[in-house]
Amino acid sequence: MNNNLKKINIYAIYLGAFILILPLIAFFINAFSFRWFYPQIIPKELSLQAWVRLKLIPKPGQRTFESFLDLWASNPTVIKALINSLTIGFIVTVVSIIIALPAARVLGLLNFRFKKLIIFIMVSPTILPPIAFVLGLNINFISLGFSGSFFGVCLVHLVPIMPYVVLTMTGIFANYNPDFEHQARTLGANKTKTFFLITLPAIAPGMVVAALFAFLVSWSQYLLTFLIGAGKIMTLPLLVFSTASSGNPALTAAISIIFIFPAILILFFTSKFVSGESGATSGFGKI
Amino acid sequence: MSDLKIINLVKNFQGMDRPAVNNVNLDIHSGELVAFLGPSGCGKTTILKMITGLFDPDNGDIKLDNQTLLTTPTEKRGVVMVFQNYLLFPYMNVNENVGFALKMKGVEQSIIDTKVREMLDLVKLPDIGLRKPKQLSGGQQQRVALARALIASPRLLLLDEPLSNLDAHLRDEMRELIVTIQKKLNVTTIFVTHDQEEAVLLADKIALIFDGELQNYTSPKNYYERPKNTEAAKFFGGVNFIKTKKNNNQLETELGDLVYDGNNIDELEIENIITIRPENIKISDKNKYDHNSFKGTIKSVIFSGTHTRYKILINNIQLECSLQSVGINNIKENDEIYVHLPKNKIWGMND
Amino acid sequence: MGGERLKIILSLTPPLLIIITLFFGGIFYGLLQSLGYQPAIGKYDINFSAYYNVMFSERYARLFWTGLGLNLWVSFASTFLAAVFALFAALAIRKTFFAKTICNFIYSLNLPMPHLVVAVGMIFVFSQSGLLARFASQLGFINSPGEFPVLVRDKYGFGIILAYIWKEAAFFFIILMSVLQSLGENFEELAQSLGANKWQRFRYVILPLVMPNLFSASIIVFAFSFGAYEVPALLGVIYPQMLPVMAFEFFLNPDLNARSEGMALSIIIALIVMILVIIYFWLTQAKIRKD
Repeated sequence: MNNNLKKINIYAIYLGAFILILPLIAFFINAFSFRWFYPQIIPKELSLQAWVRLKLIPKPGQRTFESFLDLWASNPTVIKALINSLTIGFIVTVVSIIIALPAARVLGLLNFRFKKLIIFIMVSPTILPPIAFVLGLNINFISLGFSGSFFGVCLVHLVPIMPYVVLTMTGIFANYNPDFEHQARTLGANKTKTFFLITLPAIAPGMVVAALFAFLVSWSQYLLTFLIGAGKIMTLPLLVFSTASSGNPALTAAISIIFIFPAILILFFTSKFVSGESGATSGFGKI
Repeated sequence: MSDLKIINLVKNFQGMDRPAVNNVNLDIHSGELVAFLGPSGCGKTTILKMITGLFDPDNGDIKLDNQTLLTTPTEKRGVVMVFQNYLLFPYMNVNENVGFALKMKGVEQSIIDTKVREMLDLVKLPDIGLRKPKQLSGGQQQRVALARALIASPRLLLLDEPLSNLDAHLRDEMRELIVTIQKKLNVTTIFVTHDQEEAVLLADKIALIFDGELQNYTSPKNYYERPKNTEAAKFFGGVNFIKTKKNNNQLETELGDLVYDGNNIDELEIENIITIRPENIKISDKNKYDHNSFKGTIKSVIFSGTHTRYKILINNIQLECSLQSVGINNIKENDEIYVHLPKNKIWGMND
Repeated sequence: MGGERLKIILSLTPPLLIIITLFFGGIFYGLLQSLGYQPAIGKYDINFSAYYNVMFSERYARLFWTGLGLNLWVSFASTFLAAVFALFAALAIRKTFFAKTICNFIYSLNLPMPHLVVAVGMIFVFSQSGLLARFASQLGFINSPGEFPVLVRDKYGFGIILAYIWKEAAFFFIILMSVLQSLGENFEELAQSLGANKWQRFRYVILPLVMPNLFSASIIVFAFSFGAYEVPALLGVIYPQMLPVMAFEFFLNPDLNARSEGMALSIIIALIVMILVIIYFWLTQAKIRKD
């Protein structure tokens, strides 16, 4: 009796797992097919036509290394969007960590009046939906001239990112012993050397996790970029959305694969960190 | 080796109704091994942290070799501290930890390697250079911390509760190591402790600190035989306190009159307290002395290994006497006994 | 003393400044606009007409209330189903067996996936020409695409619910796995030795153990799905529309009045979410007081 139950258990799990990967399978088939019509389960023709149409891979017969580079240098839409997403992601990640570091240190190590209130303020962007603030902000940005600018988009991306970065890093500092720094100072290390040789190695793992969050959150933003970017800043999620609405599944699938690539990378990378870190997981849940 | 002068040192913390450090003055000479002794929260560690520069004093000065330290940043003071939990840098191995101070000075790596080996030999841990701190036992970590502190020949060595984390047998070893190294390198050393036995065993001089104030600064022996007040005496295990009225050069007590040899008779107030160490009281079944001798009854006999403690009741006063267990026999409860308080072993205190 | 205070203030200012000016500033400005205060066109009075219009006017009332209903339905259903799915998955997987690590990985795979991609995936799998429909056709269940039920871009928000379940189940899964693995086994074995059968163990040991975490995770998921824009924008229909999509469309309307109504709608959405969070805190405080 027990054995049978166990078997059912296991098969149910496999079924569930299969169902869960189904979308991924669909993505890959779509991306590498041509004319994959209903009701075929397996496309009659496997091809890279979607990638050629997106100007990511040169036409057949021309696939040398130089032609790849030439193609990308001609700046097709996908490459432009990719570069934008990467740049914005990188900038907001670096900026958010630099801004959050001193604040997190103070929050993690010291106690002071209004601390709880300040933490509440820091965390509030995660409680209310982005639509609540971005509409009003957009009008402001328009009058300030930030609308449609790279700077404006980076600025607005900081809003959903700061809470996670501050929170993660505060957690790191709460477990950090500042006496190590004083010990190094008495041994002759000045403040700069102490920071780089003692503090940084200790907080590096937490910083990496915070950086990955920040990057993923920025990478996945649609509404904020769409509104503040005012159509002038094209990022990958915007491209995915517009292609998905247009109805060509192969193109959509190809762009989506590029889009989820960092997420998969990060998944492999943080599979050690994610287990047991509830701060981390609630961050990922919001992406 | 350096002279340390602490002058009128004051430190206040928010939330405390008294100063954490209240007007402390101390003069420590080059090469001395000094203990800051006091109960938890008395301010001893705070003074240490002001010497290293973690805190700034609210008032007063700290001078090393007659130059104020207060305007120098921590890393240039030449004052090195070994924390209670050793704080070996977890991302470096033993060699890198020990050589840290020399690396900060910019010394060539080959010289650093030689000196590191020397220091590890000095603390008797020659083979562990490549290990990481988490692979070391508590005692080994402390020796590495000591080596790390001493490698750059600091002017002042500060130890925060160096023995309190160790088991009894390790404590003996460590105590010997500290004393040997300190004498060998002749480095002025201050260590902080709440354990008076530890202070007495290690230190040349002890600074007794209660509630942020310096009570006394003198040799361990003096704390035993010539304590400044009852609180200090009790801290060192004193248990015999007799209320006294001074009458010219005689002391009148409930036991009877006492003849007093102490050289502070003039400073004693009319009403004062006499104390005597349990091990200095003489007892016998015959009255052998013509002064400071009283008849009493044994209330209890407690055997504590090498010594035996006798609680004796004389009139309404209870005195405790401690004698070596060997050589005394046949003293039982309720025996009548003669107690002699040698006139050079009693000590008068105001309060 | 003063130096330390200054250090604290300087350290906290940059992130606080960003959040206060951008986030609270944006909300505040949206609030003002929704109340009719638009200095740009010379309107300085405050009134609630935008709110009234959104909720009760002939033009919008039906749209609003059906939208609200849809919102609540979608959020409740997706949160609940995702939690249930994850719970059973976690319970089934935690006993060691052959492919445990792989399954663990797969069930948490969706966590860092952007919602947009998951939504697109739903189209690929569940649409009338999607993978499932093709399977059904190959197996002879249906003869034409039209016979496959409309599961994405449908009136009842099924596609949206599916997309949220796909993503949030991973979230619940990870939380449950960590709770169950750290505490669950010991308690379960204990209960077993005291004679409890599987159902009793589930009801009296496991459920109470995971409830607190499940509850807080559910609030997070619910609040998020209630106010999010991307997924309903991609997978929803014109009528009924979920509120965030509605708010955005109003906002893009060149008519300034419609813009205020869009802001009002977004404020309403925010208020509902806030009320939910407050109820959650009140409930958890009540529980603590009870204990």
